[in-house]
Amino acid sequence: MTLAAQRGGPLLALSAVTKRFPGVLALDAVDFEALPGRVHALVGENGAGKSTLLRIVAGAEQPDGGTIAFAGAPVSFSAPRDALRAGITVIYQELSLVPQLGADANIFLGMEPAWHGLLDRRVTTARAADALRRLGADFDPTTPARDLSVAEQQLVELARALARDARLIALDEPTAALSQLETERLFSQVRRLCERGIAVIFVSHRLDEVRRLADEITVLRDGRRVFTGGASTVDDAGLIRHMVGRDVEYARVPPTARPASEPLLELRGLGRRGAFEEVSFTLRRGEILGLAGLVGAGRTEVARCIAGADRFDRGEMTLAGTRYRPASPREAIARGVVYLPEDRKTQGLVLGLKVRENVTLAALARFSPRGIVRRHAEREAAARQVAAVELRPPDTERPAGTLSGGNQQKLVLAKWLLAEAAVLLFDEPTRGVDVATKVELHRIIRSLADAGRAVLVISSELPEILALADRIVVMREGRVAGELAAGTATAERVLALALPASHAA
Amino acid sequence: MSVRPRVARFGVALALAGIVLLAGIFIPGFMSRANLTTILLHVSINGILALGAIFVIITAGIDLSVGSLVGLAGVLAAATLTGGDVLRLVGPGGAAVLAVVVGIATGGVVGLLNGGVVARLGVAPFIVTLATMTAARGAARLVTGGVPIGFPDPGDPLYGRKVAALDALHALGGGRIPVPGLPTGFPVPALVMLLLIAVGGFVLTRTRFGRHVYAVGGNEEASRLSGVAVGRIKLSVYGISGACAGLAAVLLVGQLRSGGPDAGMLYELNAIAAAVIGGTSLFGGIGTAWGALTGALLIGVLNNGLDLLGVQAFWQEIAKGVIILLAVLFDVGMKRADARRMRESGLRGGS
Repeated sequence: MTLAAQRGGPLLALSAVTKRFPGVLALDAVDFEALPGRVHALVGENGAGKSTLLRIVAGAEQPDGGTIAFAGAPVSFSAPRDALRAGITVIYQELSLVPQLGADANIFLGMEPAWHGLLDRRVTTARAADALRRLGADFDPTTPARDLSVAEQQLVELARALARDARLIALDEPTAALSQLETERLFSQVRRLCERGIAVIFVSHRLDEVRRLADEITVLRDGRRVFTGGASTVDDAGLIRHMVGRDVEYARVPPTARPASEPLLELRGLGRRGAFEEVSFTLRRGEILGLAGLVGAGRTEVARCIAGADRFDRGEMTLAGTRYRPASPREAIARGVVYLPEDRKTQGLVLGLKVRENVTLAALARFSPRGIVRRHAEREAAARQVAAVELRPPDTERPAGTLSGGNQQKLVLAKWLLAEAAVLLFDEPTRGVDVATKVELHRIIRSLADAGRAVLVISSELPEILALADRIVVMREGRVAGELAAGTATAERVLALALPASHAA
Repeated sequence: MSVRPRVARFGVALALAGIVLLAGIFIPGFMSRANLTTILLHVSINGILALGAIFVIITAGIDLSVGSLVGLAGVLAAATLTGGDVLRLVGPGGAAVLAVVVGIATGGVVGLLNGGVVARLGVAPFIVTLATMTAARGAARLVTGGVPIGFPDPGDPLYGRKVAALDALHALGGGRIPVPGLPTGFPVPALVMLLLIAVGGFVLTRTRFGRHVYAVGGNEEASRLSGVAVGRIKLSVYGISGACAGLAAVLLVGQLRSGGPDAGMLYELNAIAAAVIGGTSLFGGIGTAWGALTGALLIGVLNNGLDLLGVQAFWQEIAKGVIILLAVLFDVGMKRADARRMRESGLRGGS
């Protein structure tokens, strides 16, 4: 508040902004301010609420509570268009350019200089060239966006913001795909924006970059604001402490049996171009291996290769001592390896099919000798699985699409329990699920390991990994950054391994 | 399968019942057994093609080639039927059997080619089958030189045998089974269609293959990750659609005693129309054999009723267009209701 007073008030002020999604409190009474000419960084773990906050600022989501003031007046954006008109531009990590159109056409998309509907291409190109030059860009403004590098595409987005007379620009993980040199250039461009009095919100996982560029830093955790202060007042360790200090702790579910000593699955130097490289670890029967890391660290990609959903191009795997190189999920399933995808709706379930039909989808051959489905046997098996995972409601004949998120996840689990796999790969098994269901899922996952199956769990939620895993492999930018045993792992140690080193360190 | 198609199914069945009832009251002669039998006969070709179409459409695909395949399979069947060497070798009865085999095989093989390109090369079904549609029509014209193959010249040395062969196949395409109380008898093609619909319904609802057809159309990626052989399923449904076209072609040749290169023009669109009216969703995952039958019957009853009323054929086409539009609007409406239901049951997640 003192800063605001010095500078004559914030440009954007969120106070007590709350956003609920079914089962999740994404933002809990968060205050946030952006000042003209200053960079305010937003950090936090995956799922801390940064994206939700940006989407609210952009008008893409509407808060359930709290107020937003822009340039001193209360506002309520019902669509991104409203925020744009007010002078707010959010540049997402997934850039939103039309690949076939030129940089100039992209810059003026939606506000094309025209004369009675006829495009004025000369003016478009000239004004685009001017905007790009002010940002220090040196490429031809008519170049199609798909031929530009990521850094150049970001410049196009920035130029677009300038062309719209943006007063506030939010950047979501802008340096994730940039080289060191490009990052430096971006930083100097951001500083130029500040000199013009533009307020900048900067979201990043690279803590020392954040401290270098930002004036203020706010840390979000589990949807709450846990820290706001001057960038010079904190160090990396302090930020990490703020990021992981937890209110939610899951009771650790201890194993009842000791894991086998022999590895069941072994990865040696596995690599897939553009996704991950040199990944080696082992997985034993009876244990839960946690795969930790930030979103985009390559964890899902590794799991998909193990499951035969994608191919790997380097290294090798062995399963039960023999070579394992699945060409399709079908082959992986035949060898007893199953993958429970992160996105249930697009990859885990056929929502139009009934619960029963989803449960038996991967094991239908057992219920259809000579190709004809034995309805009685199928129904019984489905009912058994539905009871085993305590699906609610325990109705096998309703469409899968009518279940809640947590119950959809249980349904995916029921399907793979029926398939009797030896290796289960869980990708974010409890994302978007309420706490009670989470605890239930943890119990079921542990019982799978106790029954002698090998379990791999990918989770971006540190408490979950710490509560579940017997061993934790941490990935960072496509590589294994380290391995921790359950006894020695702490949230701080995992996060310190997971966070990327800065380019410019 | 789920709640939705059930509503759709009964919706169409109700519409059909309503139209039949109205026609029965207001159109003299409509309800006569002879007329109802005629409707069934007229519907049978489209019913068989619609059955093939739903297999493809449930997987979220489309098959535009069936009309041309009816032409190509028809002329090849007719050429087999009246081929000199064939007749000398196996006689008229044998030639009829062989013609049936050739017709169905032609359709099936070209269908598998469609499926192969769709499944293995990942080309959009619309484009693949559009290409086949064009090429198959050309092939049919090439084979025949553009003239129908059929009734022989009286001077033909094989005249007697050719006529006997055509008659043999006519028993299938134009034959009637005597039924007590039905002076005209029951048309064989209608029987074939009803049997096929029953078999198709069984395959879709009671077999592993059928389940996989729905699964692939409902969510291809989830199916693949569940170990469903997605490629093989796609290959098969186009094969089935092609084979249905081949069978329809044979019935048509039998009925008309001739195979023309231009036969089956626009049949693919009629089949798709029947499928859509019968509640099949072009987005995949939804549809029934029963729906294909109901859709085909609805079109057939409408045509017949308007015929009896002396309404111009042009008006009939407009009526059919309106019905298709209504069916699709119904589908869209159901989809919206579905989306709303899912939203209300709280499926949105994440922060």
